[in-house]
Amino acid sequence: MFRSRSWFGGGWGRPKNPHSIEHLKYLYNVLSRNHTVSEHNRGLLVETLRSIAEILIWGDQNDSSVFDFFLEKNMLSFFLRIMRQRSGGSNFVCVQLLQTLNILFENIRNETSLYYLLSNNHVNSIIVHKFDFSDEEVMAYYISFLKTLSLKLNAHTIHFFYNEHTNDFPLYTEAIKFFNHPESMVRIAVRTLTLNVYKVEDSSMLTFIRDRTAAPYFSNIVWFIGKHVQELDNCVRNDADHQSQNRLADLVAEHLDHLHYLNDILLLNITDLNQVLADHLLNKLLIPLYIYSLTSLRHHGTPENLAKVLNHNLGLGETPPSTFAGTTTLLETNSGKVSCIVAFFLLSQVFLIISYQPVVRTLAWIILKTDKRTYQEGIDKLLENYENYKKAIDEGNTNSQIEIASNASSAGSKENLVEEEQKNITDEEKEKLATTPIETNVTDKPFLEIVYNALDCTDNDYAVLFALCLLYAIANNKGVTSDLLELVLRPKKVLISKRCTSSPSQTAKDIKYSYNTYLVEKLLHIVVLACQPSCRIRLVTLELALKLIIQLVMCDGKNVMNEAHKVSLEAARSQSTALLRNFYKSEEIFLDMFEHEYCDMSKGPLNVEWLCMDSAILLPPTGTPMTGIDFIKRLPCGEVERARRAIRVFFLVRDTVLTLNGEMETDLPLTNPQSCVQIDTALDLSIARYNSDLIACTVVGKDGQKIRRFLVIDIMQLILVEPDPKKLGWGVAKLVGFLQDIEVTGDKDDSRCLHITIYRPLSNSSANRVPLLSAKFVFDDNIRCMAAKQRLTKGRIKARQKKMQHIARLLDIPGQTGPPSPAYVGAGHHQCRGSGSRLLFHAGRLPGFVTRRDNGPGIAHRADDTIRPRSPSRHTGAIKKDEKTKKEAQSRSREPSANRNRSREGSPRMPRPRSEEIPLELIKKSRNAEVEVASKITIVSRPQTPKTEGGDVASSTLSSLQTHSSEETSFIAQNDAARTSTSSSSKNKGFIETI
Amino acid sequence: MSYAYLFKYIIIGDTGVGKSCLLLQFTDKRFQPVHDLTIGVEFGARMITIDGKQIKLQIWDTAGQEAFRSITRSYYRGAAGALLVYDITRRETFNHLTTWLEDARQHSNSNMVIMLIGNKSDLESRREVKKEEGEAFAREHGLVFMETSAKTAANVEEAFINTAKEIYEKIQEGVFDINNEANGIKIGPQHSPTNPSLPGAGGQGSSQGGSCC
Repeated sequence: MFRSRSWFGGGWGRPKNPHSIEHLKYLYNVLSRNHTVSEHNRGLLVETLRSIAEILIWGDQNDSSVFDFFLEKNMLSFFLRIMRQRSGGSNFVCVQLLQTLNILFENIRNETSLYYLLSNNHVNSIIVHKFDFSDEEVMAYYISFLKTLSLKLNAHTIHFFYNEHTNDFPLYTEAIKFFNHPESMVRIAVRTLTLNVYKVEDSSMLTFIRDRTAAPYFSNIVWFIGKHVQELDNCVRNDADHQSQNRLADLVAEHLDHLHYLNDILLLNITDLNQVLADHLLNKLLIPLYIYSLTSLRHHGTPENLAKVLNHNLGLGETPPSTFAGTTTLLETNSGKVSCIVAFFLLSQVFLIISYQPVVRTLAWIILKTDKRTYQEGIDKLLENYENYKKAIDEGNTNSQIEIASNASSAGSKENLVEEEQKNITDEEKEKLATTPIETNVTDKPFLEIVYNALDCTDNDYAVLFALCLLYAIANNKGVTSDLLELVLRPKKVLISKRCTSSPSQTAKDIKYSYNTYLVEKLLHIVVLACQPSCRIRLVTLELALKLIIQLVMCDGKNVMNEAHKVSLEAARSQSTALLRNFYKSEEIFLDMFEHEYCDMSKGPLNVEWLCMDSAILLPPTGTPMTGIDFIKRLPCGEVERARRAIRVFFLVRDTVLTLNGEMETDLPLTNPQSCVQIDTALDLSIARYNSDLIACTVVGKDGQKIRRFLVIDIMQLILVEPDPKKLGWGVAKLVGFLQDIEVTGDKDDSRCLHITIYRPLSNSSANRVPLLSAKFVFDDNIRCMAAKQRLTKGRIKARQKKMQHIARLLDIPGQTGPPSPAYVGAGHHQCRGSGSRLLFHAGRLPGFVTRRDNGPGIAHRADDTIRPRSPSRHTGAIKKDEKTKKEAQSRSREPSANRNRSREGSPRMPRPRSEEIPLELIKKSRNAEVEVASKITIVSRPQTPKTEGGDVASSTLSSLQTHSSEETSFIAQNDAARTSTSSSSKNKGFIETI
Repeated sequence: MSYAYLFKYIIIGDTGVGKSCLLLQFTDKRFQPVHDLTIGVEFGARMITIDGKQIKLQIWDTAGQEAFRSITRSYYRGAAGALLVYDITRRETFNHLTTWLEDARQHSNSNMVIMLIGNKSDLESRREVKKEEGEAFAREHGLVFMETSAKTAANVEEAFINTAKEIYEKIQEGVFDINNEANGIKIGPQHSPTNPSLPGAGGQGSSQGGSCC
């Protein structure tokens, strides 16, 4: 096509060194001999332009004479001349030309070189040149060129672009013509450029921007956002069946882009610009379109004149100024409003993104404070009213500040006393105190009323979620002042002089907390509903409602909720517990689900900003997972998901109650990671806890690699140990897995072999669990192999049982905690418990039981670490003993558990801080827990094939648990079946998965 | 100007890792970096051929715009592919990858193909990040990995083209909604399948962009 890379190719006396002034002179000659672009020379010209860029950059760094020559010969004028020719293939040359300029401006480091290039005004001539913008290539290079230039702007270079005398700023004015270009990258470049321009602190330039361009530019942006929002609304209206999620997602993302852009401008804090922008935003978009669209939820029709006002303010029917390119389509005539759902969603986004006080404060004031009269008078009055309010605040501020100061000084150290005092007020009084100001407000505040009404979830929670988002967003926006939020979205704290109250004897100031009881009531109603079975409230709605409740009633780190509300929250909690009890069952999956949901929840609290970026919530709530909507953002589908939901509801409500009570979670997660043996931990194998279960084996991996290890079966964990070469009798944990996550199968051909798969603990990805280890374990003989299998199977069941019992305790399932709740007494299910209860007393007499819980799973080794081996022969001794144990495998009964208890007794560490619990209850709990295990062990240890035994025991024990808990008929049926077949081996649910 | 598809790429990574040089090296090979001259550019386009189809790549560098949240957001969203670049001679650029990746995943559409690039592979003596580490990071996060040198042009071609191939495959599988231009993919204006004047993929010296007019 054209000669490339022929630097040294000679011809025409081209200088040998491409980086020299001689070469530039040669290129100059080429340019001057090729004034006219033609088919023949365009390749040569492109190559010449490219070389010029290279030499100039070389010169910038090495030889200043290069730039001198470039300037002297006025070579940029050649560029212009080439551009201006409209001949064949000129776009081709233009593209290279623009890229040459891009490279030049991008790579020049020397200030002086930059000034040289910018002098003569040639660059401005290039900027205003009418390129063929229909060519997407030219457009892309052109806009990149402008953007590159904008990155070079500073207080000095601005004067090359903005001409104060002619009042001309082509870089900016040309660029903003493309602000609505169909190509997204072009639009982004324009936004970047405008921000780069505003950033330059040059007052005369900014004055120019404000006076000459701000009004049209901002009004256009606002106009297009409005148009775009209508599109979004159409999309939502016409897509009840989730067909065009992609399109909707784009529209939502685009709206977010707009808001972020506006926020980026506002954040630059250029007073003049912000005023114009805020004015346009409020008067032409946010108030007439966003806020007034909320009224579409009101059933009693909107005022007649409203539509007119809206149309007028939105500028519907007016075309945007024609100076802006790419504005071809007109807004379809519409009522000028969007649906209430969309309005809620958009306003939430506004409050989540924009923090510029004058804008968000005005909006918040309108939503929270507008009264009926002003509302009916129309938009102009709204703002007028706000201005009055602002003035009043500014005047009042000085007064109130003094007041506060005096209050503070007199309150002094007696505050503590005063808080005590507060408790003397009856609940009714408190409630009255808190309610009165609100009650009068609600009916008189049309916008607030709309928001409150949206919290009604009789049919579904579609609008509820948005109303919650909006309230949350307003409450957490930094630009919204606390005077607006007090008593509405935040608690109010008032210092009242005691003299004014009923007890005149006190002279101290009293602190009165009040909060929006009306709203909290509404929210509590949502929470209570969400705890009902088969309700239509999504998890995300519940979580947000709970989040908001906490914000509404927490003041100074205290819960100021009144008794009535505390009672209903407590009721919600027991309801959520009862709901989950229905699902509590023996199936393995329940424990896995429970732990998985906990893990999923602990990834972090709900991020409302992210929630409001998700277009999926804009569509009516759905239950089907086929939509690809997150579980928490849709209704559950099927029994498993309903169970998952119940688990989540339980966690959410529990967490809220704990937070409000200022308590720490001490019972979750089920596995305390601190009490687990970690890889590379040294274990004293001589202590009974480990050595009782020590079995030598060879682990054969998938790749045939053989490793000699000792298998330790701890309470919750399976540990593969390598003898410690430095300390006799000690071993180093080489692999650690949870017993609950193992799968053991025998080998058909080799009775000495077991196939063991250890899965990783449940993590965030639930899809398919990756095994931590999947290997063949070869034991010394078949007896040992059998013993290992038995222990592993048993260990797995016991580990799971332990956790299930833990859950049962959390769910107040009777028999697990001290006094059973009255509802469960005499429910006619105590037959199975008989032996358990009796055992409780036996167990109580056994030594070590009381301390058992104190020394939770896996904790012992930490204490052991500090105790060095006493006898050097311990290690071998341990193994020998192990062998002996194995020989006794057939006749073994309670021995291992007894061993364990003794070992645990020796370690004094506490597993978790449980100081706030009542010790007596703790002891009771621990006894119970022990009884369960002990009773099982007695049964299991009967010397028979461990397979069916283990399975049987698991199902029988668990089903006996279940009978106490189950309320749902389906499960009861299952349990009954299980109960009747406890002695037979037909039901071995827990077992099947073990093998 | 004829192409079957247009793919928009972005290049992300710390400053100074050689993003703009990679871009220029790919879009305009005639800028030979042999003369101790580092030249970069923020935008470039080039035609390549995949599966007999002309595909135009538009590459947008986001350098210098990180200060504005609205800008980064939009850039990510509008791209079908991203080159995530670090400098093998500067450990910290590797350490920042997670942040970049989080940003990318948060803002981009979920189908965006991300390629991890360890640049400056010519500076073996000053290497601070092992190739294996890059490979491990890529494996862990499901990225394609490659070490390149904008200076010697090693692997530069491959990095861009492999990314394009992956996007192309996703289109064939129907993963990308190609009718939605917001994804960074555009269907070409009525393209003629055979245009003799088009340079082949990776053709030396093909000019950026308009070389086929």
